Parts: sequence; structure tokens; C-alpha cells
Amino acid sequence: MIYLDNAATTRPDPAVLEAMAQAREDYGNASSVHRLGVAAAKAVEMARAAVAEALQVRPDEVVFTSGGTEANNLALKGVLLAGARRGHLVISAVEHPSVLEPARALQRLGCRLSLVGTDSDGVIDLSALAKLLTERTSLVSVMHANNETGALQPLAEIGRLCRRRGVLFHTDASQSFTKEALEPRRVGADLVTMSAHKIHGPKGVGALYVRPGFRLEPILHGGGQEGGLRSGTHNTAAILGFGAAVGLSRARDAARVRRLRDRLEARLRELVPGLRRNGPRARRVCGILSVTIPRGRAGDLLQALSREGVCASAGAACSAAVAHPSHVLLAMGLSADEAGRTLRLSLSRWTTAAEVESVARIIARLAQR
Amino acid sequence: MSPQKAAETLDLSGVPCPQNAARALLRIEGMAPGSVLAVILDDGEPIRNVPPVLEAEGHKELFRARENKGWRLVMRRGDR
Ligand SMILES: Cc1ncc(COP(=O)(O)O)c(C=O)c1O
Repeated sequence: MIYLDNAATTRPDPAVLEAMAQAREDYGNASSVHRLGVAAAKAVEMARAAVAEALQVRPDEVVFTSGGTEANNLALKGVLLAGARRGHLVISAVEHPSVLEPARALQRLGCRLSLVGTDSDGVIDLSALAKLLTERTSLVSVMHANNETGALQPLAEIGRLCRRRGVLFHTDASQSFTKEALEPRRVGADLVTMSAHKIHGPKGVGALYVRPGFRLEPILHGGGQEGGLRSGTHNTAAILGFGAAVGLSRARDAARVRRLRDRLEARLRELVPGLRRNGPRARRVCGILSVTIPRGRAGDLLQALSREGVCASAGAACSAAVAHPSHVLLAMGLSADEAGRTLRLSLSRWTTAAEVESVARIIARLAQR
Repeated sequence: MSPQKAAETLDLSGVPCPQNAARALLRIEGMAPGSVLAVILDDGEPIRNVPPVLEAEGHKELFRARENKGWRLVMRRGDR
């Protein structure tokens, strides 16, 4: 089997599973003050330190959540529900549904929502963003790397615009965390979303970086864990796995994955005349390649690929079963027909050069039938 | 008044139990045996709970003193 659906999720690293097994002994509640509680708390704090170090922030600024979806919900709802004063939310048109949908939910609750469009590479229009910001704007949410195309957004420029207007800035870094350099303080991000299962960690755990100094309304109220921002007994095993996954990430892996991804693109271009890449050539997160094939349907091609042992996606994984075309590709100016001919191939640090060559040949054969 | 000057200070004010003890342990375990760590703790549960947890792991309390509304606890890292 050749697994090229790593933007959907990754295979857990064996060392991650090993770290999670520590929860067999450290099964105490990380809020209990007896020895097993302290042991569990220590495991949680070790993971928190690893996440904080990756972002160059303080451990207290990291809130563990049940994943990227919850972190995104906490960021958007947390800011908009805390501040009665403003109530205007700005997001990009290419956000993941876990940003888009909470934004729409807030709109139904009376918040004003604006969407910023992108150019044909999927990079947001900064001057349009600048024009949207007013003294009523509470929050801007623009993702770091797009999950369908890998396109990287100009976070530092967005951060500057937000700071000038006194607007809070959230970025969903689920796809870029540990792969692209990201220091929230440097780019002026007040909130940053992370997800463990995109980096060979376990599913169902993530984190939100929260800069101190502004009020965030929790979305889960209860026992007051995570500084009151995320109540609920800590998922120690998952958090341990997340910490281990962060510790295993290496910059040199990203460079290698990028080379293989570019090799895959080059081979596909050679073998499939008329094939087009979506997203910027250079400013893209390392593992993602989105291509539009000249004819046929992505859905049929994926089925055929699957029969040959190749796992990939059409656009995003979540919408793979849904018939409507990707909002990301439409925002970039692709037609519904082109979006329906688009395939996402996403690599990991375990993808090999032989797999890349083999997939390029299989796609070439199937796409030209 | 301090018998030994602490080389490092870990501010755990506002950090609840047992998160404070966990962080203090992680920090002191990362130091060389014999090193001295000062920990800033809140009054109440934190100053009651944290020292025994550290001592149970073989670290030694050198002294504690009131500081602002909380405490400065100075510990020496154990050998094990
Ligand atoms: C960009 C982006 N944001 C958020 C998420 C959601 O993260 P999770 O699956 O951890 O809830 C994903 C992937 O699923 C994603 O690709």
C-alpha cells in the first residue's frame, strides 16, 4: 500500500504509541494531588513544554484540546463570545470547515462575518483584508497552510495589519505545525491552532496557543482544567503522544518531504500532459500536492487508485464523500468541473522515492485511459 | 538570609495543584545534582502540597520565605 493521504491524517509513529503506553502506569487524574495525579500532571506538563518549545512560547500559553477542530472553535467562539464591544469576525474564504462553520454559527448568533478572497494561488488578498478591518472587528482568522493546496498565507503581514487596528489574530496551523517555522510572537498571532494527528501523533488531541492579556470565553465549562479554558479530565495518553510527536519532528524531514513532493509534481507533469498544479510553487507547506487532471473525474480516479493500493484524496478528506465542489478551489477561481478533476496527494516523512515514482506511473496510466 | 543563592527561579504563581508540583519536578530533574532551584508558589494549597512532593522524589528543602502574597521555596536537587 502507498499512503499519500497524510494531510487527512498520518500514521502514528511507533515512538508515539510507546509514549502513550506510559498512561498504563500514570493513570491518575492529572488534577489529583496524590502521587499518581502528580505523575499524570508531570506527563501532561512535559508534553506542554514540548509544544511550547516548538512555538517558542511559554508553557502556560498552551491549552490542550481534543484536536484542531476544538481549538478553532475555542479561538473563534472564545473571542467573539467574550467581547460584547465589537462583534465583527473576518476569515479567509479558504479556511477549513472547523473555522468556517463556527464562524457561520457566530453569524447566526448576531456577529458580523466577512470573508477575504484569494488570488488564483489561494493566497489571501491583503489589501482587501486591510479594507475590511474596522474598530468593530474583534478577530481575524487566517490559516497558516491550506489543507487542500498547502498554500502558505503571509502571516506576518496579516499580523501587522491586525496589530495596527487592535484586532486579535488567530491562525489555524494544523497543517504547518512543526513543518514550517512559526513563532506566534514574531508574526503577531494571538491564537494558534495545532493538531497532533497531522504530525504522526494520536487523533483526538490538539492545542491552542493563547497569548495572555485578553479575555477568552471557554466553550467547555466545568472543573476548570487548562486555566479554566478547557474543562474536562486530561486525556493523558493522547497528550503524551502529542508531546512525543512534537519531539520527533525534524526540520530535515520537511526538506526531504518537500523534495519528494516536487519530484512527484515534476514526474506527473512529464507523464500527464495538461495536468496542472494548484497553489503557489514555492510558498507551500512541504507535504501537499494538489493537481487537476485534464479529463475524467477525481472520484473515479481515486477508486481506481485505491484498487491499486494507493490512498489519496479529492480535495479535503472530510468532503471526499460529499458531492459539492471544494470551496477552496472555487475561491481560487477553478470551475466546479475543474474542482471535480482535482486530486490531493500528501506525503509524510515515511514516503519513499520509489513510492513517488510508482504513484506517478499509476496515475499517468489511469488518468489517460 | 539565604544559605545558598538559587541559580534558577521558577515562577509558579497562579499555577494550580498538582500542575505546579509537576512543573517544579520537571525543572529540578533537568538540573545537575546539588543545584539549587527557587520556586515561587501561592499561599495555601501550593505551599502545602509542593514541598512534600519534591521531597518524596529526593530533593531537599533548604528554606522558604514569604514573598509578596506567596512564597519563595528554595530546593536543592537530590542525587537520584
Ligand atoms: C487546516 C485544518 N484545520 C483543522 C483541522 C481539524 O483538526 P482535527 O482533525 O484535529 O479536529 C484539519 C484536519 O482535519 C485541518 O486540515
